[in-house]
Amino acid sequence: MTTGNGNGSERFTGHGAEWTDAKLSKEDAHVATVWVDQIINRRSMLTNKDRVEDVRDVMWQLEKDGEIVVHRVQDEHEAVMVKTLYGWDKKIPTTQLWHHKSCGQCGNIPGYPASLLWLMNQMDIRYLDETDQTSCTAWNYHGSGIGNLESLAAVFLRNFHQAYVSAKAQGLPEGYYYPLVHCGTSFGNYKEVRGYLLQSAKLRERVRKILGKLGRLVDGKLLIPEEVVHYSEWLHVMRNEIKKHQVIDCDHIRATVHPACHVYKMVPEDAIYDDDILEGNRVAVTTGLLETLGTQVIDYSTWYDCCGFGFRHIISEREFTRSFAIDRKIRVAIEEARADMMIGHDTGCITTLDKNQWIGAAAGKPVDLPILADCQFAALVCGAHPYKIVQSHWHASSTETLMEKLGIDWEKKKAEFEEYLKEVEAGRGETLYDPRKMITSGPGFKPQGQLSKGT
Amino acid sequence: MSHSATTRVQEHIGDPVSDTPPVGREKLEEIFQDIQADLRFDHELNGCLNCGICTATCPAAHYYDFSPREIVQLLWTENLEGIYDAMQEKIWSCAQCYTCAARCPFDNSPGGLVMLMRETAIKHGMESAKSVLRPFSRVMLKLISTGNQLSPDMITPDGFADWGPNVSKIDAPLATLRKAIPMPTLHTTKTAWEVNLKTSVELYTIWEETGVLDSLEIIDENLFDVISDIMDEKRDDYEDWLDEQDQD
Repeated sequence: MTTGNGNGSERFTGHGAEWTDAKLSKEDAHVATVWVDQIINRRSMLTNKDRVEDVRDVMWQLEKDGEIVVHRVQDEHEAVMVKTLYGWDKKIPTTQLWHHKSCGQCGNIPGYPASLLWLMNQMDIRYLDETDQTSCTAWNYHGSGIGNLESLAAVFLRNFHQAYVSAKAQGLPEGYYYPLVHCGTSFGNYKEVRGYLLQSAKLRERVRKILGKLGRLVDGKLLIPEEVVHYSEWLHVMRNEIKKHQVIDCDHIRATVHPACHVYKMVPEDAIYDDDILEGNRVAVTTGLLETLGTQVIDYSTWYDCCGFGFRHIISEREFTRSFAIDRKIRVAIEEARADMMIGHDTGCITTLDKNQWIGAAAGKPVDLPILADCQFAALVCGAHPYKIVQSHWHASSTETLMEKLGIDWEKKKAEFEEYLKEVEAGRGETLYDPRKMITSGPGFKPQGQLSKGT
Repeated sequence: MSHSATTRVQEHIGDPVSDTPPVGREKLEEIFQDIQADLRFDHELNGCLNCGICTATCPAAHYYDFSPREIVQLLWTENLEGIYDAMQEKIWSCAQCYTCAARCPFDNSPGGLVMLMRETAIKHGMESAKSVLRPFSRVMLKLISTGNQLSPDMITPDGFADWGPNVSKIDAPLATLRKAIPMPTLHTTKTAWEVNLKTSVELYTIWEETGVLDSLEIIDENLFDVISDIMDEKRDDYEDWLDEQDQD
């Protein structure tokens, strides 16, 4: 049937001849559909499942049966316990951490990991950043389909085994360092793969042969981590400690959070929730940190949407990526939440939201919203140098606007950094840790003996 | 103005009024069996009442002729022709956000099922996979040969003109800017971080043992040749290093 739209023209509803318009006022229409909002975007959307299993129960049984070895979060890792989606406990280690870097962060947003390590230095956290690691390979997998469950599982177990043995290069015992995963894609992928490894004897057997060839078994068995931990979870449990180092007030800053899909939608039962953080309806990480630092975190209607990254899309289907990023995230944050910034906790999201704003002006839809990762913002308000540490020059969005609102003289800091580049070219650059630690075996390795505590 | 003689459906599925479709039943069954054979299949597909929550929440459905509900229905009802048709184009629309999986009341994972279909499309050397992945080959080259998927030298204003002039806001050589990052592992331009040679050689073993290189050869023979050469070179370097250790 056709119906008028009030402007004298007609339009087709496609609902059939029996359909008639209820002609509700805007207010009545809101009342009629508000129940949808009460269900959608709420934690209950994720918890209404019949089949829920904590794979860690399977893990402990397999270890008991002599099938696997579990890399435990020990007392020495000074873990903090948190609650996940169903109220289960998760241990978050806070020190002796092995940084599992993100290729997208290190390649494109290097201030992301640098800010995290800088924060750890402020709090005297022991860690290792080394060269014996690959990316998780899951960006390529989700983008292309090149790869498979076995390759993802073998890469996961290889990298985590290296984390387990890495301290030997410093004369320290196996298991000393616990892996801390920087990338959200890696975090989701590793948790998913761990689940399949625990459930499938066939997969374990196939991968055991490969890890055996690599010399990456422990007592002939696969090494499985007790917890897969994302850096945003470390920030979350350390937020009150971080607050103690804060030197810049940010109470007046309106923040929007973009939570990463692979952080809380993949293996959702492992994501951290807290009833005191946005009523427990939103994953707690990042929002909890920003609230602790004093910002006003504003909820918005497309909070649940992805960023538009799409893995392959950001490279070869860019119209989708930029349209989605601008229309569903950036514009909503600006117009609906009147945000001063959007903060995320994953590689692809930060890249997508940061880089895809300039093109809006070409389409006559200019947008302007500073984009940073949670650890970059935390470092900034704790006094980190905006260019030397936060490396804000790699961000295309207007981080300068945010710095002005925070009272940071970015032009002065930028000039300092440009001057510092001369020191770098002369081979006098500063580093966050002793570079001798970064090679733990193979070509280039020089035994250092037991290095002292700290970075 | 000329028009194509055949439609997409006719080309890939066959003339709907013809008795002899170009894709035989045997081939369609083989493809479906490959999808089903993955141990994840039963985990990702549990049933479907066509509620459409997955499609309502899907970012790709906003912009493409793509519906995760349709993908689930095709697999659940074992609609072999429909599965084959979806593998020609639709499965490549999915943005892999897994919003569908998080929200499905049946605990299905349409995004996960799409991955099984993509892997199968590659295994069968489908033209859709070859053409879709051609612009992605640089990422695949980087990943398979170095273990990093993205490197600083890939992000250039020429390569990403739509990102605007502020890809880097400081005018200095890339190598200098990289050395100004306070993490020594990041003082690189061709990889995101310095990857130990031993690590790369271990990764090559994983690629070989898990059939990843076979998939690559099916989809892009030239890329496979280039990567094989790089791998041989790095393995030789590592062997040389091991020999040096023995001599010491």
